[in-house]
Amino acid sequence: MVVEIKGSKQLFEEVIGGELCILCGACAGSCPYLVPYKGRIALLDNCTLLEGQCYQYCPRTYIDMDAVSQKIFGMRLNEDEIGVVRDVFLARSADPEIRGKGQDGGTVTTLLSVALAEGLIDGAVVSKMSEDKTPSGFIARNKEELLQSSGNSYEPSPVLEALNRLPKDSDEKLGIVGVPCQVMAVAKMKTYPPRNRVNIDNVKLVIGLFCGWSLADGFHRFLQENLDLSQVVKFDIPHHPGHTFDVYTKSGVKSFELDDIRKFINPACSYCWDMTSEFADISVGSGRTAFRGWNTVIVRTEAGAELLDIAKRKGALETQPIPEESITNLKRASLNKKRRALDSIIEKTGDRNDLLYLGISRSFADKLLG
Amino acid sequence: MAGFETDAPGTTQLLMGNEAIARGALEAGIGFAAAYPGTPSSEILGSLAPVAEKMGMYAEWSINEMVAMEAAAGAALFGIRALAAMKQNGTQVVIDFLGNLVMRGLGGGGLVLVSCDDPSAHSSSNEQDTRPVAKWLDIPLLEPGDFQEAKDMTKWLFDLAEEIDNICILRSVTRIAHARGNVKLGELPKREHRVSQRPPVFRGMPPHAGLHQKLARAQEKFESSPFNCYVGPDKAELLIITGGSCWLHSQEAVKALGVEDRVGILKLGTLWPLPEKFVESHLGKSEKVLVVEEIDPFIEQNVMELVANLPLTGPHPTFYGKRSGHINAYGELNPDMVIKAIASILDVSYAPREAEYAKKADEATRGYVPPRRTGFCPGCPHRATFWAMKNALRLDGREGFVTGDIGCYAMAGGPTGFFQTRTIYCMGASAGIANGLGQLWRFGLEKPILAVCGDSTFFHATIPALINGIWNDSNFTLVVLDNSATAMTGFQPHPGTGMTAMGERTHVISIEAICRSLGARVEICDPFDLKNTTAKLVELVAEGGGAKVIIMRHECELVRARREIPPYRVHVDPEICVGAACGCDRLCTRVFLCPGLIWDEKAGKAKIDEVICAGCGVCVDICPQRAIIKEAA
Repeated sequence: MVVEIKGSKQLFEEVIGGELCILCGACAGSCPYLVPYKGRIALLDNCTLLEGQCYQYCPRTYIDMDAVSQKIFGMRLNEDEIGVVRDVFLARSADPEIRGKGQDGGTVTTLLSVALAEGLIDGAVVSKMSEDKTPSGFIARNKEELLQSSGNSYEPSPVLEALNRLPKDSDEKLGIVGVPCQVMAVAKMKTYPPRNRVNIDNVKLVIGLFCGWSLADGFHRFLQENLDLSQVVKFDIPHHPGHTFDVYTKSGVKSFELDDIRKFINPACSYCWDMTSEFADISVGSGRTAFRGWNTVIVRTEAGAELLDIAKRKGALETQPIPEESITNLKRASLNKKRRALDSIIEKTGDRNDLLYLGISRSFADKLLG
Repeated sequence: MAGFETDAPGTTQLLMGNEAIARGALEAGIGFAAAYPGTPSSEILGSLAPVAEKMGMYAEWSINEMVAMEAAAGAALFGIRALAAMKQNGTQVVIDFLGNLVMRGLGGGGLVLVSCDDPSAHSSSNEQDTRPVAKWLDIPLLEPGDFQEAKDMTKWLFDLAEEIDNICILRSVTRIAHARGNVKLGELPKREHRVSQRPPVFRGMPPHAGLHQKLARAQEKFESSPFNCYVGPDKAELLIITGGSCWLHSQEAVKALGVEDRVGILKLGTLWPLPEKFVESHLGKSEKVLVVEEIDPFIEQNVMELVANLPLTGPHPTFYGKRSGHINAYGELNPDMVIKAIASILDVSYAPREAEYAKKADEATRGYVPPRRTGFCPGCPHRATFWAMKNALRLDGREGFVTGDIGCYAMAGGPTGFFQTRTIYCMGASAGIANGLGQLWRFGLEKPILAVCGDSTFFHATIPALINGIWNDSNFTLVVLDNSATAMTGFQPHPGTGMTAMGERTHVISIEAICRSLGARVEICDPFDLKNTTAKLVELVAEGGGAKVIIMRHECELVRARREIPPYRVHVDPEICVGAACGCDRLCTRVFLCPGLIWDEKAGKAKIDEVICAGCGVCVDICPQRAIIKEAA
């Protein structure tokens, strides 16, 4: 199917004006006009191009899911709750330093570290937080730089801007870590390779994170009013028994009621139907309450499987099987996200046949909507 | 060619109108001249200052027109002939002072204000007419019709001013001020300026009544003035009444139409008060009168007023002019317009050139003229400043509102300044307007407010508004575009340059020291450092709070270029520039718009116009492909 490409004007009208923008950064960095800044995409000048890569790779403009799936997995869209699964298990880093800095088990940092050490990649496009905890993308080229990036800010980080800013003649092999919308944008780039930008085939590894939502810029201002952000070392939402958003500072932990934080959820996240980064090579999430300090890992592609094998062989990663009950819970949560997203989209469009960006089959949509 | 100050009486020199005025002042023996630069008046003091020492006089660029006028009046108080020169905007500024000066008299020395009008506002924010000011304030006013008169009238006005003890005005317009013509020089007086040691005594006449008597004496002199004349047949089908540069247009029009035997021209040089008897004596020459003058219908209305007071048996011609629509009610005139008016009244046909001429001329020359819009010079620091400002305000995202002021940066409301400034009024109004806008947060205005002014404008009229903003805690950021020059009018020195009009070194008045002494937060940026300048602007507008100042300091490119070679050699690497495929949509030549950076249609890539490029290197930082390369020159 031929997908219509429009320009930045329509990107602003449809995505940003339509409150669909999740600040993934896919539109930024490849032109001088679009710049992520304090929770929005700023337009520095009007661009008159009728077709722009900004529009084309936005994960909230139309996606032909079958075409993208064909490119990544060699098959039409898998209609399972958590996408294509070659293997699923629990993992954590064998390195206590990484475990101490990581969000849960430090699996992502470990995998990237192994990939760098083995020469599978030369650099990893990851996110790091500035002094005031504003996240942005950068390229980590060794373990020390990787460790600067570990941890979750809960705010959207426009990491794809860093990918787009790479010189187009760079031949570095790259890994990318992103949330589902960013993984989707990279999958679009792979399906429709960009011109005059870094060769998308250089991206050898995509690690996707599980994601329920991210927080909009109001959250950042809320934090600024309540804390000295330069003293913050980590954010976390512990599972049962707490209902808190915990901020670890150099002098202790400050807890906020989770409900007070949920107010800041980016409304655009309600239209997202992907919880587990279904188009990644490997998807990584938390081990949840039952396995604190562990990650849930889904291996989806051959490239992902190869990296996992090496990591296990090198003893960098400890693994254990995941109980069936946990998989069931994960699938239920993921399916619920899909259903909520479809409901929100249809509520917005007022038309069951208009699913905005989501190019899925009629029958799949009907099945989900029940 | 000898200078305008050459001591060669009786010889004829080709002088610019402003030089002729300066020469007239020298022949009158002035000891004092003060001015603030403003087109088209700037070359009057610009001519006098370099020769002032040699001529035994004093000349200064003053901080603004008000101070220039007051300083000149101060010199006249103790018997020194003094001249003040300014453009029409300046005259508007000094009206308050003039209104009081005329009530008291001069004291001793002759005092002349040269006010240069700019019909069509070629280099101005408006085209106000000085002549009604003379009528309003009871000040005698003359207007030269050619270059000889520019000199002769200036000289004579000093005599008149001293005789009636009242300031006199010489009105000039762009086409006299900036054109050149032959002027026969007069004697330069050999005298040393000595002040009268007695303080001035003002005579005890009720001021306004006394002023009217002074005007009546001036009018009496005007009745027989050689500056008024009639040219044409004793009885004419049409009588043109005109003055100023329109005298030249009218002569040319009559000649072009070949109607010298049908049309007479009454040329007036003494415009206020009107020499009524002289005018009346010529009104009977024709049943039809066409008044040709620029901007306001000043002569037209005063002659009509005169006719309305004539007995029924006197001449009552039909009037043609601005009221009838035969002459434009605004803007500059030219011989073609006068020809059309005469042809229409006399019902004669005239085709100066074929109808397609303009189109053909355009086609014939198009290939030789690069398509270029009004804009900042290559290498101009203002381009970099407004680029940083645009980006900063776009990042800020609240649609910041920028008030503009008078200077080269007045162009910033257009493409060359990325449409950043939104208002333009008078000198100093940017900060003044911002004072009001900066209080509107209380009524829901959520935009950051910025005011821009040049360094010369800062000294001229911005300081009081800045003090007001700090005093009343108004929320705006003053952006001082400090290019260390009064660039728009020709690089005249100002209080920040450490130089006087007569070329002497003097105190440097520090803009930042003034602002800091007021308690303002002051930041200084080099706008060529786009990254830091943008970041600093973002920070300042985000900060909120009361008035603050950011000084964009980078020397005017035209001043720098006079002194040294360009800092960089700049070129576009055609291997790196990918042209239309870049995705940048020609940021360099579509948005940035430096005349030195052009689009090579054939290659489909950007390139540097080496003849135009000033080598500033700023464009290197805007190319997303980093295809623009700078090398130290």
